[in-house]
Amino acid sequence: MSMVAPEIITASNLRITSKARALGYGITLVLFGLFEVLAFGRTSTALHTTIQFAYDSAMVVPELSSLVGVVVLIVGLGLVALGVGPRFAPERFGGWARWSKLQLFIGGVGVLLMLWPISLWMGVNQDGQLRDWTVDVAYFCITLGVVSIAAGAVLIWRRFDRAAPILLYCGIVVFILAFLVWAARYAVAPAPPLTLTGVLWGMMLFSTFLILGAVSGTIGERSGVVNIAIEGQFIAGAMVGFMVADVMHNTGVGQIVALVTAAISGAVFATILSVMANRYRANQIIVGVLLVSFATAIAQFIQGQVLTTDAVYQNTPVLPVWALPVVSRIPVIGPVLFDQNCFVYLTIALVVLWHFLLFKTRWGLRVRSVGEKPVASETVGVSVFGARYQAVILAGLVAGLGGAAFTVAAGNQFTWELTSGYGYVALAIMILGRWRPYGAMAAALMFGFTDSLSGALGVFSQQIVIPDAFISALPYMVTIVVVSGLVGKIRPPAADGVPFVRR
Amino acid sequence: MKLELRGITKRFGDLVANNNINLVVEPGQIHCLLGENGAGKSTLMNVLYGLLTPDSGEILINDEPITISDPKDAVAHGIGMVHQHFMLIPVFTAAENVILGSEPVRPWPLLDHRAAKKTVGELSERYGFDVDADAVIEDLPIGAQQRVEILKALSHEAEILVLDEPTAVLTPQETDALIEVLQELKAQGKSIIFISHKLREVLALADVITVIRLGEVVGSTTPAQATTTSLASMMVGRDVNLVVDKAPAKPGEVVLKVDDLFVEDDRGLTTVKGVSLEVRAGEVLAIAGVQGNGQTELIEALTGMRRATSGRVAVGGVDTTKRSVRGILDAGVGHVPEDRQEHGLIPSFSIADNLVLDQIDDPKFAGRFGRKLKAIRENGEHLRTQFDVRSPSVDTPVGSLSGGNQQKVVMARELSRDLKVLICAQPTRGLDVGSIEFMHRQIIENRDRGVAVVVVSSELDEVIALGDRVAVMYDGVIQGIVDPSTSREEFGMMMAGARSEEEMA
Repeated sequence: MSMVAPEIITASNLRITSKARALGYGITLVLFGLFEVLAFGRTSTALHTTIQFAYDSAMVVPELSSLVGVVVLIVGLGLVALGVGPRFAPERFGGWARWSKLQLFIGGVGVLLMLWPISLWMGVNQDGQLRDWTVDVAYFCITLGVVSIAAGAVLIWRRFDRAAPILLYCGIVVFILAFLVWAARYAVAPAPPLTLTGVLWGMMLFSTFLILGAVSGTIGERSGVVNIAIEGQFIAGAMVGFMVADVMHNTGVGQIVALVTAAISGAVFATILSVMANRYRANQIIVGVLLVSFATAIAQFIQGQVLTTDAVYQNTPVLPVWALPVVSRIPVIGPVLFDQNCFVYLTIALVVLWHFLLFKTRWGLRVRSVGEKPVASETVGVSVFGARYQAVILAGLVAGLGGAAFTVAAGNQFTWELTSGYGYVALAIMILGRWRPYGAMAAALMFGFTDSLSGALGVFSQQIVIPDAFISALPYMVTIVVVSGLVGKIRPPAADGVPFVRR
Repeated sequence: MKLELRGITKRFGDLVANNNINLVVEPGQIHCLLGENGAGKSTLMNVLYGLLTPDSGEILINDEPITISDPKDAVAHGIGMVHQHFMLIPVFTAAENVILGSEPVRPWPLLDHRAAKKTVGELSERYGFDVDADAVIEDLPIGAQQRVEILKALSHEAEILVLDEPTAVLTPQETDALIEVLQELKAQGKSIIFISHKLREVLALADVITVIRLGEVVGSTTPAQATTTSLASMMVGRDVNLVVDKAPAKPGEVVLKVDDLFVEDDRGLTTVKGVSLEVRAGEVLAIAGVQGNGQTELIEALTGMRRATSGRVAVGGVDTTKRSVRGILDAGVGHVPEDRQEHGLIPSFSIADNLVLDQIDDPKFAGRFGRKLKAIRENGEHLRTQFDVRSPSVDTPVGSLSGGNQQKVVMARELSRDLKVLICAQPTRGLDVGSIEFMHRQIIENRDRGVAVVVVSSELDEVIALGDRVAVMYDGVIQGIVDPSTSREEFGMMMAGARSEEEMA
């Protein structure tokens, strides 16, 4: 029998790779900057873009009197000091220095409090809504480009290995912003504005099923079971949720019941998969593909025989939008995060919950151990099959709920094509998110953003050289590049998809 | 705690892996189980650990009979196992590995990481281990991983510790450190069962030695009464020649020349960093070193299985650096690969077919349209007799042979061509003593016939026995090329990264 060669990762090896990475990121930033200056910046100076921050017309930043504003400003400043202080003078803050996440949160709240009066004094409110911002396209893009080039140059020169990824992400966001401003350029007023907040709002709702699907895949694969049937669970969840909601006349209780049954229908599929994968050690890919075909066939049958003929099923359920007090009034962030379909809140809560379950609890440690090296788990008395059954079935609940996002949450009539392959996209997102719930959320938001964006850019389609379908296709290209291992190291759980055989 | 195994018998089909084995381990005793690969040591320990159910026999702890049906029972009875292939999750930290299965939770269901680290810290201190609770296992050297594994067993309050071939993957220094740890555990009253086939360690460590052969206990002895020779003959069942008979080498001209070779591994890390070697006709250059220091990549580069990033390899004056495997074989290189199952043989093919794998396009075996089955068969019969491959016929699938016979097939095939260079990687890993003797004799015979031989081995004994010169490899660099008569301590130092004195002078 061969022995596994020990992996020796020396500090010097790591150092070299991260230095090389910083160089690569720096060059990328410079290229971004050059593109922004040379391509976007060449626009005629007469062209302007109007960026609309208000999502609905009633949205304003709550007014403050000057006196209260000063108080708020001072309180905010204090919180920022409290958040930042322990970093610079840990000895004065004693035990505080350990709570770095809490610090970050306090500092963030402080910044927001400070922004409140400042933005009011700068006049963000106008005529009962947030003021639009009109910028000169050429100058705006050139400014962003120069900043990007400067950041890239510093990175090439000093090779900061820690700051490199953060700078790159900022660079990407800046690039997208420049592109948007350039794409929405208009010579004559009244121009259709660039609905920035609207795009981000749509991104959140559009991402929900991708997030849930990817989290579901993550849970399963962390335990060592590949679930390629997420598409099937989507179909089942979407259909069951839709039917239950309509049968119960779309009342509030009815919708809750609809979500629960949708989740359960996903779990039923997961149960079949887990029995096949654990009890019968079947090839998990093939079982998964068959389950999708099975779900599709059932959906086609029910759609043809029941949904189109029965009048009960002609209503479309839709979940309510909840605006959270105060925070929903924060410009841009507020409507995107806190004035949302309640399904978005549910999704975010589930992501946090699953991160917690997988990485902070005993159950999670065992599930992950089973996905990495089940033999080792078994020798310390962890039940491999138990952990896998639990993980896969719970993951099925999440995927089924993801299916409900298509119908119950978004307000669509169920058709069997509704999921259109997003279950498979969710698997790609899972890989892109490196088998972590937060990673899955971030990756799913990228897909959601481009999809939402390509819709919003339809107005400007004549002046964008590239078709908007190309923008929708972008995340898939990113996925191919990332999954192929060109960017960073992606490592799946070691026992992913390998049936466990007891000795 | 006293452990007794009484009349343990375990059969796999017709094969009797353990036959009526009796064993008594007293408290505070280091009991060595000695036997060849396949003698049934691991089977016995898996029975003890509840991974296998015996067909008959009983297990007693402190003279009370107990039943062990799964590892959980074993752990509950205070039996801890350190497996040969560590049962650690590579991506978890040391602390996470130690607590897995009996995690402290406070408040439920939160993992109590602080308590876990405290446990690891206290145990490390009590037994004098040096283990960083936050280190991720796969970043640790093998010796440290093993300490985590031992710690894990101790954290379950093991009173009897079973170590299965624990030194197979260690440097001599790490082995010494392990022996110290075990002595410390013994002093604290733990019983230890130490499974090995390495005579030297067993003699250094044991209180009692029990020898197992073909599933039966052959006898028990103590280090005071035994010698390496007596143990070896007990183990094999006949007199064994532990020393390789060989005349002094008569080196001819340089046949294999390696110049400043750099090679990357699968992950893109440079693991061979500027190796230069010369091997002459009629000599054996042995390459020693702990596994994972670039030997595998070096051999792969020499044999064309991996492309070197820079440097030059020449066989008999011909540059083979960029040649394919085929081209290198044609240049007169024979290769006995490290992993015979993966790279040396096709397990489902017959012996005869495996013996011509490299010559399948030779007119001797290839006709105009098909293979010359008769020639292949005759060739198979001939080599099977010559190399004493024990099998029903040449049509037997190679995969069903024992390790020793498989290795003979590989060796027979490689030697059936005209060789200038023979490269053997771990030629005797996992083989029984008889096969080891046979392999060593083949290697020396070929040396005497004027072949330049390179032997890579992580067994220091083998390196010293075979090599006319010994190169020690550490972290991708040849630390020095020395005479095999160099002291073991010196070798140990070089294998752990020290430069040889000759080199520094």
